[in-house]
Amino acid sequence: MKEKKYKISVFRFDPLVDTDYHFEHYLVPRSKVKTVLDGLIYIRDYLDGTLAFRSSCRQGRCGSCAVHVNGGYGLACEMPLKPGKNVIRPLAQLPVIKDLMVDMERFWEKHESIKPYLVRKTNNAEQSYENRREMEKMIDCILCGACFSACLMTGKNPDFHGPAAYVILNRFLHDERDAIQKQRLDIVKGENGVFRCHSMYNCNEACPKNVKPSENILEIKKNIN
Amino acid sequence: MGADMKEFDVIIVGAGMAGLRAAIDSVKRDQRVAVITKVHPLRSHSVTASGGVNAVLDKPQKTKDDPFSGDSIDMHLQDTIACGHYFSDTAAVETLVNRGPGMIKELERWGCLFSRTKDNKIAQRMMGASSKPRTVYSADKTGHVMMNTLYEQCVRLRQNKPSQLQFFEEWFVLKLLVINNTTAGVIAMQIATGKIEIFTAKAVIWATGGIGRVYGRTSNPLTNSGWGVAIPLYAGALLKDMEFIQFHPTQLSGSHILITEAARGEGAVLVNRKGERFLEAYDDSKKDKELSPRDIISRNIRREILAGRGVNASCVHLDMRGLGTKKIKTRLPGVQELCKTYTGLDPARHLIPVTPGQHYTIGGIHTNEKAETNIHGLFAAGECACAGVHGANRMGGNSLLEALVFGKIASESANRYIAHKPVKTLKSNFFENACFEEENKINYLLSHNGHFRVAEIRDKMHEIMDEHVSIYRDGMGLVNAAKAIKDLKNKYNNDLLVDGPDRRANYGLIEAIELKGSLDIADIIIHAALKRNESIGVHFRNDFPVYKNRSRHSLSKINKGKIKIRYIPVKSKNKLLKTISAGTILVKK
Repeated sequence: MKEKKYKISVFRFDPLVDTDYHFEHYLVPRSKVKTVLDGLIYIRDYLDGTLAFRSSCRQGRCGSCAVHVNGGYGLACEMPLKPGKNVIRPLAQLPVIKDLMVDMERFWEKHESIKPYLVRKTNNAEQSYENRREMEKMIDCILCGACFSACLMTGKNPDFHGPAAYVILNRFLHDERDAIQKQRLDIVKGENGVFRCHSMYNCNEACPKNVKPSENILEIKKNIN
Repeated sequence: MGADMKEFDVIIVGAGMAGLRAAIDSVKRDQRVAVITKVHPLRSHSVTASGGVNAVLDKPQKTKDDPFSGDSIDMHLQDTIACGHYFSDTAAVETLVNRGPGMIKELERWGCLFSRTKDNKIAQRMMGASSKPRTVYSADKTGHVMMNTLYEQCVRLRQNKPSQLQFFEEWFVLKLLVINNTTAGVIAMQIATGKIEIFTAKAVIWATGGIGRVYGRTSNPLTNSGWGVAIPLYAGALLKDMEFIQFHPTQLSGSHILITEAARGEGAVLVNRKGERFLEAYDDSKKDKELSPRDIISRNIRREILAGRGVNASCVHLDMRGLGTKKIKTRLPGVQELCKTYTGLDPARHLIPVTPGQHYTIGGIHTNEKAETNIHGLFAAGECACAGVHGANRMGGNSLLEALVFGKIASESANRYIAHKPVKTLKSNFFENACFEEENKINYLLSHNGHFRVAEIRDKMHEIMDEHVSIYRDGMGLVNAAKAIKDLKNKYNNDLLVDGPDRRANYGLIEAIELKGSLDIADIIIHAALKRNESIGVHFRNDFPVYKNRSRHSLSKINKGKIKIRYIPVKSKNKLLKTISAGTILVKK
């Protein structure tokens, strides 16, 4: 009996050598793989060792392997391969280093620009039960970059912070122990800041952890008004 | 030639829990620090730690109506030592339990979002082998929130003191430079560009994590290849107790993704095909059942499966249905998500098929309670190190604590060392020659067209380790495993195929380099397991099922390709309070 295979088409591009990107097509035995990441690993292991992509925890926690598959963003390790075609592209809005590996520098720069750390009030009080519970839904962001790539504004405006940075910002705005909330709002209230978000909800759709960046952005906007 | 040379006071290799904690401490002591890591810090495997971290936070008076009150640091010490089968070095455990609480409170001050009780205190839960609920947690995402807090503090320090702290993300360390048994720095390659550079430092802190990917059935990430521990080994560092590999009882069948012990801490039970709580039927798990130490539960699951009472030939069921939807949602949301994504099952409604698999490297780089190694100026912390805290079996919730406590201690020791280190200038051709050697090795790998792909050799290694060096071991199997690994090493050395020719962003090349380390570490585990003719904790020999009570750590090194093993006594102040049951022999039907 002929072995059943998945068809996987992968974006290949080496900016130092190639003039343009192309798609390479691979067939991967279905018995050996389940997820998109399994497929990519199989390709690197047995078909082409030079395919560049990031991966680590393979369980949807570390955020290394965010990619674009068949029209949507997600973590390669969480998305099942489908019968038919699987078209895999790198994260958009970020320069390609090679193949599916993109340069995340701008993403991390934006993350750092919002001062992503607690600056304590002098009273040194411990966090209350209610405050911690309120923040439950904000702690799940793993900074994978999917929302940053899905966002239409991050591509157009290099100064726009991007959805992930706003989620982290909102986490600190909700923290009753934080002393610099006004300063935090000052960072993002300018003309290239949070109001550039036109509520397209692309980030919500892209987020593999269901963090809902759009709702966090709305909360920040309300805080500024 | 003339590769670039970067100079620092302290180099930290690895940016997980131990590495970041060490970095924060060293920067605060005004050292110029470089953190070299092959993945972004927040991609380190510490982020997946779920269950929690043990610490005795306050000492409420023991009250009659609350059996969980009255915890003490001494109880934490006793629990750790008993769970480790009295095989721990007492001074290291004392350091761990005494400094633990301060480290947790400090993280809390830095903004760490631990779960809290209704009276606004840091919440604590039960974990296996604990006599009181002392595991601090954040739902089942404890590692994630702790790592975020540590990284946030690093960002803050870097913004305040940019010249003090530099991160070299996605730089892959090739070699630890040691001259006259003293560290001089490391050689590393930037993954994206393939360029090789020399990093010199007065002290080096090693924090590369576990070696789980030497096995196939493991909860460890793809990045924990064993290379991290192999680099210092090649530079002359001794490895301690490498035969002690912990197998976690509950990993998802197939993918071996971990289902945290906290699930059982919150009330989940293990059942066989007939739906019976089979742990009650075994002497050593009769009393504590699902909260027995991990080595015992893993062995008993294996026995249940081999007795034909497993759900199928490889797993049993974890039953979380009794917890109720609300408790699962609030305390174990991550577990629910993992089960849904990777098995399509909802733990609130379905039984989850689980099986034991490799989880934690109890052994590692030989260190003491000051995180010092046998090489001057080299310090090690976290899972890659073995200070003798965990004895022969690690207690759940102690690994994050170990990473935090010994990460900081490694930095303190490094700083003390730097203050007393005589200034010596090394000839620059020492560095250039070392660099030249690494360039040659890489060029050889990329140009040598053999027959065997890295994955073929690696898959075979996984098979051998899963089969012969697992929960139950025996002399015959280990001898066969040693032979098979030797054969794989031959193939690696003479007949390897690596796709090239470019080294830029060539992860296939990185995996090829790492495979050498994996094979050597596997070989050491096998030899250390073969030489230990007794059973204790996670090391169980069917052909030597009793503990000979000699209490000695193994120390391994590699000399010209040959593995040498010697023994040193366990430094235990604790008298054996109870007799150790080594476990029960596995009878294959």
